[in-house]
Amino acid sequence: MKSILTTLAVAGTMALGSVTAVQAKGQGLLDTIIERDSLLCTGHNGSYLGFAEVDGEGKWQGFDIEFCKALATAILGSPDKLQIIPVSWAQRFPSIQSGDIDVIIKVTGWTMTRDTELGLQYSRPYFIGPFYVMSKTELGAKGIADLEGGVFCVNAGTTVERVLTDYMETNGIAYESLAFEKGEELRAAFYAGRCDAIAGFGPFLSATRVNADNPDDFEILGDVLALEPEGIVTRQGEDDFMDVINWMVSALLMAEENGITQANVDEMKANPPSASIERLLGVTPGVGTRLGLQDDWAYNVIKTVGNYGEIYDRTIGDGSRYKLPRGMNNLWNNGGLHYPLVLD
Amino acid sequence: MADAMAPPARQMGAIAWLRKHFFNTWYDAIFSIIFAVLIFWGLQALIGWAFVNAIWRVENKNQCTHDAGACWAVIESRGRLILFGLYPYEEQWRSTLACFAVIITIALSCLPRFWSIRRLPLLWVVGFGAFVLLMRGGFAGLPLVTSEKWGGLSLTIFIFSGVFVIGMPLAVVFALARRSSLPVIAKSTGFFIDIVRSLPLLTILFAAAVIVPLLVPEWLQGSKLMRVVVAFAVFFAAYQAEIIRAGLQSTPDGQAEAASALGMPYWSLVVDILLPQAFRNTLPSTINQAVITFKETSIVTIIGFFEVMASGNAAIGTGEWGNQYIEVYVFLALIYFVFVFGLSRYGAWLEKRMRLGHA
Repeated sequence: MKSILTTLAVAGTMALGSVTAVQAKGQGLLDTIIERDSLLCTGHNGSYLGFAEVDGEGKWQGFDIEFCKALATAILGSPDKLQIIPVSWAQRFPSIQSGDIDVIIKVTGWTMTRDTELGLQYSRPYFIGPFYVMSKTELGAKGIADLEGGVFCVNAGTTVERVLTDYMETNGIAYESLAFEKGEELRAAFYAGRCDAIAGFGPFLSATRVNADNPDDFEILGDVLALEPEGIVTRQGEDDFMDVINWMVSALLMAEENGITQANVDEMKANPPSASIERLLGVTPGVGTRLGLQDDWAYNVIKTVGNYGEIYDRTIGDGSRYKLPRGMNNLWNNGGLHYPLVLD
Repeated sequence: MADAMAPPARQMGAIAWLRKHFFNTWYDAIFSIIFAVLIFWGLQALIGWAFVNAIWRVENKNQCTHDAGACWAVIESRGRLILFGLYPYEEQWRSTLACFAVIITIALSCLPRFWSIRRLPLLWVVGFGAFVLLMRGGFAGLPLVTSEKWGGLSLTIFIFSGVFVIGMPLAVVFALARRSSLPVIAKSTGFFIDIVRSLPLLTILFAAAVIVPLLVPEWLQGSKLMRVVVAFAVFFAAYQAEIIRAGLQSTPDGQAEAASALGMPYWSLVVDILLPQAFRNTLPSTINQAVITFKETSIVTIIGFFEVMASGNAAIGTGEWGNQYIEVYVFLALIYFVFVFGLSRYGAWLEKRMRLGHA
């Protein structure tokens, strides 16, 4: 069923991508958003742990949602001007072509097919999605190699299964694989001690660990099976809009690098310690207009959602229930892969 | 003189009844005992899980463990999300009222008193209008809530009743067209029905929600919810048309011929003679189709609608309540059960009532 949908979606998107692109030429998406005074961003048809969840009052929260808020604030000055449109995985690409949504911020991996054939444009990665292995603490494993010969449980027919096989074959580690159809079954089997380890996407493993009766019985190993760079996506040809997205991500990272937080941003704006921070916070006039925004756009963003580290911590990191390690999503000077662009 | 026969053994009383039905032979006895033990054991486990060992309220979510019993606190904490989806929290009373408006409309239209060409449509216009006005708002100080934010049980009921109300007349039209004496109409309707039936519902809904806006000019698109309800209704109609056609074919030809001989107009023949019999003869299949449609409404989650099932998934899709999925699914099952069981009982009642009229 899923493949029918995907095919349909891809066919529709490919056939009509060019048509919509031509239609949109008159006015850029950025202008449309400003004129409409609201940003249409992706939600989820349900919940995606830590990234897009619904709280008891029906309000969206999570890592991706924070980026939607940041983007709405950058362009329109307030996170209240954001509209979250729930879309399923299969629906996201056709929806962006039809204009139901302006931007996809939905843990969407940057792949060549999507980038080229589907007529989409990716921003720089805002999240590096890691696949990890989690094992029982009592086994005392330090890395995946220590689990040689053990039983690894995975979700059947998912990317994880392939990623695990690739990793184990490349590294010549013998193991026994046990596949489960549903995430709940997989968890139950792991809690019951049926598996020595499970492999999966970082946030899923964290949630599994946190929900165990005793989370300390389980440990996520540092070895990375594979990674998927997740980008923010919009239609091909919306260059102005893409500039804003890239600089929004960069501003969040630059704020973290320079120790600008939600709490001290006012102080920093009053006495900027360096010329580049002056430019970032809009003390030097004219920087925002280059992007077609207000000069204090980055100040507003940081005031609203904090810097990259704060967002991470609040939604999926140590300040949240998931306690997903920063790992590769740290800044370059903390052993991670993220870096801000040069703001001159 | 024949000897008087001994009177028959006592045939009354609980013990005699038990012996007759459960312990008639030695193997009956063995099966009875095995099943009695199994049922007892199952019920004990269920009651233990759902009531005796259940946790009803928690101060802290970590008190919910998953070995002893159910943790119903999840329903207390996430219940409004399941019932209302993404509908704004402060406005959820509107969703409740709207939900009742449609339920009352459904209940009233089940009463034979409302079965007339004039009353039934009027009832539905009022009921549906009340639902949409309440849900949408945007007047008299009620904030506007667009259909993207509708969700939960109200959305499920809205989709179901919308599909039924649009689909049923459409099905009658399809069925009559397929039996038309004009070959072009009959053939093309048959072809259309067969095409719709050959496509998965999922694909039809996906196309209606996602592909149609790419092809159709904006003024014709309507809202996404509207497109989906209409597409779903066409799908329903394709199946229901075949059921009605079966009913039409089951009325003897002599009746239609007699009606023509008496000079009854076509419309009167259909409304007064054919359709009432067709509906009565196919009532079990129609109720069947209604039940299937009610359950199938959960498919709309694939195009991003927060109907009650998707809301349930959202309720457990968080680190806090991820382990309480059984409780949430049981709660959802109860909601579905109430509606589907009600529908079946109504069908049974209707059948009985019609039999009476028949005899």
